[in-house]
Amino acid sequence: MSQTHFSRRFFLQSTAAAGGGLLLSCIFKPAELVHAQSPGAPAKDIALNAWLRISADDRVTIICSQAEMGQGIMTTLPAVLADELGADWARVQLENSPADPAYRNPRINWQFTGNSESTTAFYDVMRTMGASAREMLIAAAADRWKVKPETCRAENGRVIHRASRRSFKFGDLAEAAARKTPPANPPLKPASQWKLVGKSLPRVESRAKINGSAIFGMDFVTPGMVYAAVRTSPVFGGKVAAVDKASVERFGVIDVVPIPDGIAVVAKSYWQAKQALDELKVTFEDGSGASVSSNTLKARYRAAMDGKNWLLVHATGNRDAIPHPYLDVPLDKQALPAGDRSEPAETYPTMVSQEYESQFLAHATMEPMNCTAHVTADGCEVWGPTQGQEMAQNVVCQMLGLPKDRVRISRTLLGGGFGRRLTADFVAQAVAASKAVGMPVKVIWSREEDIQHDIYRPAVLHRITAAIDEFGRLRAMAHRLVSPSILQYVSPPSVTDIYDPSCLEGLLETHYDIPNTRVDFQLLKVPVPTSVMRTTGYGPNIFAFESFIDELAYNKGADPYTYRRELLSKNPRALAVLDLATEKSGWRNPAPAGHFRGIAFAEAFRTFTCHVVELSVDKSGSIKIHRVVVVADAGTVLDRGITTNSLEGGVVFGLSYAVQSEITFDKGRVVQSNFHDYEIPRMPEMPPVEVYFIDSGARPLGGTGEVGPVTFIPALANAVFAATGRRIRSLPLNKHGFRLS
Amino acid sequence: MKTISLIVNGKSASVQVDPSKPLLWVLREDLGLTGTKFGCGMALCGCCTVHLNGDAVRSCVTPIGRAEGQRVTTIEGLSGDVSHPIQQAWLAEQVPQCGYCQPGQMMSAACLLAANPNPNDADIDNAMAGNLCRCGTYQRIRRAIHRAAGIANAKGGHRR
Repeated sequence: MSQTHFSRRFFLQSTAAAGGGLLLSCIFKPAELVHAQSPGAPAKDIALNAWLRISADDRVTIICSQAEMGQGIMTTLPAVLADELGADWARVQLENSPADPAYRNPRINWQFTGNSESTTAFYDVMRTMGASAREMLIAAAADRWKVKPETCRAENGRVIHRASRRSFKFGDLAEAAARKTPPANPPLKPASQWKLVGKSLPRVESRAKINGSAIFGMDFVTPGMVYAAVRTSPVFGGKVAAVDKASVERFGVIDVVPIPDGIAVVAKSYWQAKQALDELKVTFEDGSGASVSSNTLKARYRAAMDGKNWLLVHATGNRDAIPHPYLDVPLDKQALPAGDRSEPAETYPTMVSQEYESQFLAHATMEPMNCTAHVTADGCEVWGPTQGQEMAQNVVCQMLGLPKDRVRISRTLLGGGFGRRLTADFVAQAVAASKAVGMPVKVIWSREEDIQHDIYRPAVLHRITAAIDEFGRLRAMAHRLVSPSILQYVSPPSVTDIYDPSCLEGLLETHYDIPNTRVDFQLLKVPVPTSVMRTTGYGPNIFAFESFIDELAYNKGADPYTYRRELLSKNPRALAVLDLATEKSGWRNPAPAGHFRGIAFAEAFRTFTCHVVELSVDKSGSIKIHRVVVVADAGTVLDRGITTNSLEGGVVFGLSYAVQSEITFDKGRVVQSNFHDYEIPRMPEMPPVEVYFIDSGARPLGGTGEVGPVTFIPALANAVFAATGRRIRSLPLNKHGFRLS
Repeated sequence: MKTISLIVNGKSASVQVDPSKPLLWVLREDLGLTGTKFGCGMALCGCCTVHLNGDAVRSCVTPIGRAEGQRVTTIEGLSGDVSHPIQQAWLAEQVPQCGYCQPGQMMSAACLLAANPNPNDADIDNAMAGNLCRCGTYQRIRRAIHRAAGIANAKGGHRR
């Protein structure tokens, strides 16, 4: 991306850069934690652009536009800006952005944190903002010294004149620098001059997370705040029919008020509100959703898979090489790649066809959904753990009929996000409750509410068919996919009645050299809410695809690594990742007695990744994972330590997807309710994980927040096959008698 | 409602509450100690772990009445300046990702080390199995506990 593509708005002074906004309840310094309630910004702060303020006393404040939910973005992106600026990292402080168009993701023109987009979308923005401000500071210093700007440099928070060794602190220059026109194309530092980028920085908020002072949404407090415990219709689409307020009179609560599809009990204490809610007599009108069960959903998937109503979304070579009974319905004929053509089906000696299934899942962030809102005569303030500040602002504006400048959304730390916190359902509840009682209200969901009123990762059903010629070569592949929408709530404009791009992720950027391919899709309507969850479409799709590739390798009697290697022979970047993973895992050497290995490769979120899993399985189906090796090429790893964390944790998330977790439905309700029946991995199940990077320099940068589980899941299933001869084609593995030990 | 006195992080505290109110919510709402987290309400996730007379308990299911006159230590009581060996090790290993479960993890770990100054991996697995982490920091927690054991032994013992 060329720098000139940046919208002018990045250079403008946003509400945050102007220093007038009520910002987050804590400010972080890399060196030490500064804690303050609603600090605002001192008047002497001078904004050089929407992302940066410098005060006369030399404080450098960088605005963090992306929600911190464990992925380390609050450290990584500001470090990129600080590196270009030449700031003293130990003296930088950070503030969370408000909802403001200045902080929109430039790729999508929308303010959110998700889809592993943050580094990809903001890396160039951060560099340019840092470099532009640096040039303005240098120009101001050069004016004062009456020297050429080229003879000066910025370093450690000072502008230095090389020849005379004179220097000014940034704070001395900020006012004059702000009067300079921001250069649109400032020179960017070569990687050799980076002091922060590419290193392993301590996370800026880690001290606060270690001494208990970090402010998550759950911990936010504002004067006069009261609490609400909530219950929404247990059946999807149901409504409150009747509420007997008298049934909780003895609890002395403040009020019982309606919220969207449910009811909130408001009290001075959450505990008091929760006790009253548990006793509250409320009846719901279930509506038509009450007939939904996992079996009725399965029947819908089956009918779709066996039907003929397919949308052709991708093809290469002869798209009809494999016979199929349905008509081509191209998504957009223009969009089909040049060279795809329809010719009569070919005859191959071997056809292989298998179905794969991924399950419904709940995000189960450790911090249950919560939000604080204060609706006043003047407007509305919201404080909460949100990945979707702009979505939240839009929803609140719509609810209250207010313009955007009257609705302020302040972002706290997030106790996990994984996509769950992109929607504003929990925000709307807090706003409704606050409006009803006229006080600031913090809504807190019970874990039961959190599990049973998630917006779920949809189950996905695949059928993949391959045609093999007489020499054992893979000549054609047809992939049919049935999935409910992933983006319907988080990005409505990208979804139509028949298409959702997220559902296809991973199937359109396959690097295997297969001459004739096609991908057909059916967007399934289901009566349960579905949305994005860490790995989005890549998770289910790569599980299916990489399991199938593994089957083809075994069918041929080939080594699964060698088989993939041959299919990737024209792609050096892919081969480098695959080769490093096998080298580090010792793939070419026999595994220790009783140990078996599985491998999987993919590009996901623009990152190339490969996992090798080494495990043993005893007769009872107990799986012991001895070793996991993961290799990732994200182009350039901006922070090695933080990215390593993410890939280690990705294995644990992958274990949840692959082995333990599942949401099922009965009578229109979610069956699971808490961690006793919605299982996630625990300490004893943690395998040793080794992480390796390749910095290929590829652009755009790959995302690393979600990629961790993607190839781990099929590598695990493939290793289970190697160990047991059982090919597991539907997740989770615990449905098939396996468990982790 | 009842007046209940207890010692929290070494200081006397007195609260006017329903004795059945869980210690978790007394700490968070009545005493303003929000480092201790709510995660499940059923002692299933360990986010709310605190020390009651030196033992790790799940404060979400511990009625405040049970803590009357007792010593309670929360994450804020390990140390504010991150000087406790567990905190130092957590910082050195850069354990937290989202960080929400970490106060509970650290309180469980501190208890483990007080009882067993040199735990092996199996000891760690046993002691920490009740603390869930959705970000998946278990590998770093394990390393940090080993590191903390080294720090504490060098300092001449564990405290909690």
